[in-house]
Amino acid sequence: MRRRAFLGIPAASAFSFSADSAPVPRYKVVSAYKSQAGQGMPGLFPGSVVSVHSNTSIDETTEKVNAPAVAQMVAEGMKTLCGVKDPRDAWRRFFTPQDVVGIKVNCSGAPGIMSTPAVVAEIVRNLVAVGVRTEQVYIYERFQNQLDSVNYAAHVPQGVKIVAMEGFWRGSSRNYDPKTYVEVDFFGEDDTRSNLARLVCDPLTKIINVPNMKDHGASGVTGCLKNIAYGSFSNVARSHSDARTHTLSFIGTLAAVEPLRSKTVLQIMDGLRGVWHGGPFSPSRRYRFYPKQMMFGTDPVSIDRLLLDIIENKRKAEGALSVWDRSTAHVKRGGLDSPPDVNRYIREPGHIEYASKLGLGVYDVAKIHVKKIEL
Amino acid sequence: MIAVILALVLPALYWEQGPETAPTLREAGVECVHVPAASAAAWEKAGFCHVGVSPATLEGFQKALTPGVRMIANEASATRSPWITANGWRFERAKDKRGYLYEAKAGVAALAAAEAFTYDAEALIRIEPTDLKEFGRMLGFLKRVDKPPLPSLADVGVVDDRSALVGEVMNLLLRRNVLFRALGAPDLSYSINIQLGVNYPKSEAANPGAFALKIRRQLTDDKRLLQIFGSAVVIGRFTSDGKTARLHLLNYGKRPVEGLRVRMRGSYGKPALLVAGQESSTAEDYMVADGGTEFSIPVMGAYSVVDFSVVQ
Repeated sequence: MRRRAFLGIPAASAFSFSADSAPVPRYKVVSAYKSQAGQGMPGLFPGSVVSVHSNTSIDETTEKVNAPAVAQMVAEGMKTLCGVKDPRDAWRRFFTPQDVVGIKVNCSGAPGIMSTPAVVAEIVRNLVAVGVRTEQVYIYERFQNQLDSVNYAAHVPQGVKIVAMEGFWRGSSRNYDPKTYVEVDFFGEDDTRSNLARLVCDPLTKIINVPNMKDHGASGVTGCLKNIAYGSFSNVARSHSDARTHTLSFIGTLAAVEPLRSKTVLQIMDGLRGVWHGGPFSPSRRYRFYPKQMMFGTDPVSIDRLLLDIIENKRKAEGALSVWDRSTAHVKRGGLDSPPDVNRYIREPGHIEYASKLGLGVYDVAKIHVKKIEL
Repeated sequence: MIAVILALVLPALYWEQGPETAPTLREAGVECVHVPAASAAAWEKAGFCHVGVSPATLEGFQKALTPGVRMIANEASATRSPWITANGWRFERAKDKRGYLYEAKAGVAALAAAEAFTYDAEALIRIEPTDLKEFGRMLGFLKRVDKPPLPSLADVGVVDDRSALVGEVMNLLLRRNVLFRALGAPDLSYSINIQLGVNYPKSEAANPGAFALKIRRQLTDDKRLLQIFGSAVVIGRFTSDGKTARLHLLNYGKRPVEGLRVRMRGSYGKPALLVAGQESSTAEDYMVADGGTEFSIPVMGAYSVVDFSVVQ
């Protein structure tokens, strides 16, 4: 493969960002991988989202998950997305027995909120049902301690590999590909590269992205885009400094890097639980809520656009600041459970629209086709 | 007098315990020590190689700082900036690299020895006895990799007026791996010469960290001789005679660094990697592309040496 490098498009020509956003920096993207036409983001169904709600999916008091209800949600969501009657036919649209499948979970808020083990187990069950061997399934996340706090192993069949990019001591680069990276100088940091997980380059052939429904102090919300981008690259926290962050442009830039973009073929947003403030963490139940909903699609932008409204409406109902609030007067240092009238950073919910400009999906609500299912 | 006493090729241990510790020293691989002059006779009697150092001589030594890193929380951010205490900039500006004394606190004796070796500084190192084994192992490694020093390479020239302000600029340049050479006058072979009060206002250097960043950005990262990825606490010294090159890498952090990625401007042959604490090591993912040479170090502790041939 030929080594390929190009400079990112300057912001002014690509996107009219808010006047008080940090200017979009020059990104240097280096990857030897080529785009697989038609695969990955936005994938087979751009602008289409299936939203499944089940009131019995989780008990709000005990937070106990109803696995059979989850299985039904997954089956209905996948069948409707693909327009088929048998869920196995839906999974076959994406996966063959030869595939090595990565499930990108989100454990940054664990154990309060994470890609629910019952959801992940159901995904694995469906993969196995269409012939993918358990040894060809990887559940991955960046940090070992976060994965450990969930213990997926207790919920999935033997053989499934559960791997973290960084072990007990964070900061190791060994499991990231030194030849696939985004180089950028945000704030004068010394280490200016963010490298893609080796696992994504090899051996994975397909990725299922399983984010949660969460507020995020820096990016506004964290859904499909942020989970797959910040969760697959090293050295990403450097985009946050002081009140302003570079999440506006960095999230989409990372998500668009090959082979991550082409391999991420399915988005399953787990909204059994949600976080409406203080995200991505959830140290207490104070800001958790229970949408009891899952969204299915291949277009991360469309799903995240819907997520924006879910989080914004919940925040409005709770009297919290809008995710679009950009007043520096509201930005204060504080703990993870800071009040809803305090922001940790100026949020950048515009990152979703920015990603749409990079071709990752459909942002305009009027053009997003949503099929709602009530179970 | 100091030079006569020291005449050191490698850093040496300044040891204040008595000759009864000779077996422990031998076990740690330390074959010779510098000791207080008053105890020299006892060491002589014990038959252990030693050099007596008088209090007056010791007093005349320049004190090196205890090398290491401490984390400082950024005021308004979850990210953290490591603060590195390093002596490299002092060695680089020194006209005479002899007569340094490290008072190495617990846990940093090996790093102190490696730092002095990296910059060809003649130094005595007073260590905590608990660090003896680690120090001895590093000394053994330094003997293994020792060879005649090569000239250091630099990105920028800094006209040294011997002021504290210029010293702090040098410190922060080195901290950012912007390699500098201390000069008596501007040298046009460098694209950037820093002469505070002449081509850069002294007020601009009042925040030396920001000033060093400005210089880095003026130079541009692509044109830097050395870039390090995967750690914010590793500092390099790059030396070459035009035919061969040696890169020294010092890890000021307390933890091993895994997967460190190094980029050097120019074309170099496949690296021969020597990592302190490892019998053998191999550089990974070596490549020459886009005007630079890159490779990765699987894991390194306090110190690594990388030797190259220069591709013309």
